[in-house]
Amino acid sequence: MKLDFYKQKNSILLIIFYLTALILAFTNLQDFGIHIEEKFHRLNGHYWLNYIAKQFGFVDLQKITEIKINSISDYSLSSVSYYNKYGIVLDLPIALIEVLFDLENTTSIYYLKHLLGFIIFLISSLFFFKILSRRFDNFYINFFGLFLYVSSPRILGDSFLYKDVLFLSFFTISVFFFLECINKISLKNLLYFSLFNALALNLRIVAIFLPIFFLLVLIIKNFYINIFFKNYKKLIIYFLSLVFFVFIFWPYLWEDPFLKVIELFSSLKTDLVYVKILYFNKYIPNAFLPNSYIINWIFISSPIFQIIFFSLGYIIYTIRFYGRFLRIKNKSIYNDLWRSKKEEKDFIFFLFLTSCFFIFIFSNLRLYNGWRLVYFLNIFILYFGIYFLDLSFKYFRKNLLVKNCIKLMIFVSVFYNSYAIFSYHPFQSLYFNSFLSEKIKNSFEGDYHGISAKHFFQKISKIDERNAIKIAVASHTPLHRGLEGISPNLKKRFEIVGQEYHSADYIYKNNISEVNSVLNKKYEVPENFSKIYELKINKVKIYEIYKFNG
Amino acid sequence: MKLFFYKSILIFFLFLAAFHFSFGYIVKKIEKNIDTTISKEKAEEFKVLIREEMQNAINKENYIKPEDALIINKFIEKIKNDLNKNK
Repeated sequence: MKLDFYKQKNSILLIIFYLTALILAFTNLQDFGIHIEEKFHRLNGHYWLNYIAKQFGFVDLQKITEIKINSISDYSLSSVSYYNKYGIVLDLPIALIEVLFDLENTTSIYYLKHLLGFIIFLISSLFFFKILSRRFDNFYINFFGLFLYVSSPRILGDSFLYKDVLFLSFFTISVFFFLECINKISLKNLLYFSLFNALALNLRIVAIFLPIFFLLVLIIKNFYINIFFKNYKKLIIYFLSLVFFVFIFWPYLWEDPFLKVIELFSSLKTDLVYVKILYFNKYIPNAFLPNSYIINWIFISSPIFQIIFFSLGYIIYTIRFYGRFLRIKNKSIYNDLWRSKKEEKDFIFFLFLTSCFFIFIFSNLRLYNGWRLVYFLNIFILYFGIYFLDLSFKYFRKNLLVKNCIKLMIFVSVFYNSYAIFSYHPFQSLYFNSFLSEKIKNSFEGDYHGISAKHFFQKISKIDERNAIKIAVASHTPLHRGLEGISPNLKKRFEIVGQEYHSADYIYKNNISEVNSVLNKKYEVPENFSKIYELKINKVKIYEIYKFNG
Repeated sequence: MKLFFYKSILIFFLFLAAFHFSFGYIVKKIEKNIDTTISKEKAEEFKVLIREEMQNAINKENYIKPEDALIINKFIEKIKNDLNKNK
């Protein structure tokens, strides 16, 4: 048997990359704080596990989950029976693991969830690498794309926390099978596509774009290859299996599915959060976001090289697309929106990114907490970045100077991302581009996940050794939920008094506010408190501690 | 058929864009103005302004011009008389 040295070397590089990522994740997992919504999602998991137990007559499981549901109490927690439309993709399996393995320590349950979320993210990165490998020939450029996918600081930080990156992961896997189906309409590909599409849909309704764009690309292809006639049986099976998987993974739809689907779409309007958000140092209602909101957030919170590569790649492709569009002929395959299988992929990515972007603008999407709700756009951003690099290497293959300059930029980019990850740890979710001034970095929402709560309680316990410490919160962050990230003994020492500043020993403050803090003074720290500590990372203010002066 | 399909999509997109950046933009601006004018924060801002103005009035020796004071006094007297008449 002949061994392919290059293939082996590449596989070894990939194995080393994933092993390093896993080791780093295992060793640093517990540095991250607890997300403010983790409690709700634990409740969500048990709520639906209880529902399933009821449906299938598992009496013991029903009793256990009822006890669990009653034990998860929090005055600030939304009612799970009202907000029951959230997906169960990770919530329910974790609830089941909690019951099966009789896990009592809440902190361990959350960290287990963080680890599983990160592992799913790593698996999705492999699918992203496969997407790149099927499009671009250069292994090292594809490997660089994989590195960027995993190492974008905000995405990496959030990958441990919550469903925005979980959605990105399932979306990426779905896009991989989408491309596979476009390449070869086989039953296996279609079933995988429908399965992962359903999982993504379970997390965010925006995954509905996948079957719509799939249909659109097929319609375009149908103009010169009779796809629908040849594959109508398979395509019907795909749509039926998509409906089946959506139904199976979403117990919410099990009773009155048609009515529930209507409710689901109508709730998109009624259940949307209406808050004021800090944006360029002004509090603006999220119902009236400027058109540039998503672009601005992507640019200020993504590594600079990534943005440069993407911008150039996207501009080059748009020019090429425009040229193709002008030269379209009715009965010629050659004169269409794409000319080869590779260009077909570029078109699909362009279609996704551009359409999603404009749909969000046209629909006045109520975003908040930066661009976390549209993190899935990151795979398209990275794709066009890699597109630019691949094109540049091909175009300048004989110009050593330019080639080396691009290689240098890639190396600097790798070091830059690695440095950003280490310097922001464990607050990578709050990463801002290093080229921004301190003033701009702090003129946006900060720690919306409330992950600094853990750091805060540990800091206070070192400053003050008393057994009863009262903490007030000058922020919209439900700080008391962060208590679940510390040991029970430490937890006992703290009492959270909300905005009752007069009875507090210390005040926790970050720049998260649902109201205009300039006009509404509910989060204003009283004058009899003075600042004793401030956590800043790369000029980004994470939180402040104020102490009662007496 | 192919060209018709592409052109239809392009026209649909251009229509949406034109609608959003013209009519949609104006509606959004009006809604935003209404929202900020009647918001709780705006009411708070007015309260602060009124308080400040009252404080200014207290600090000033003569807040109301003598001729205005005369008119206001006469007006209050008139109101009082009318109210007493219709008790």
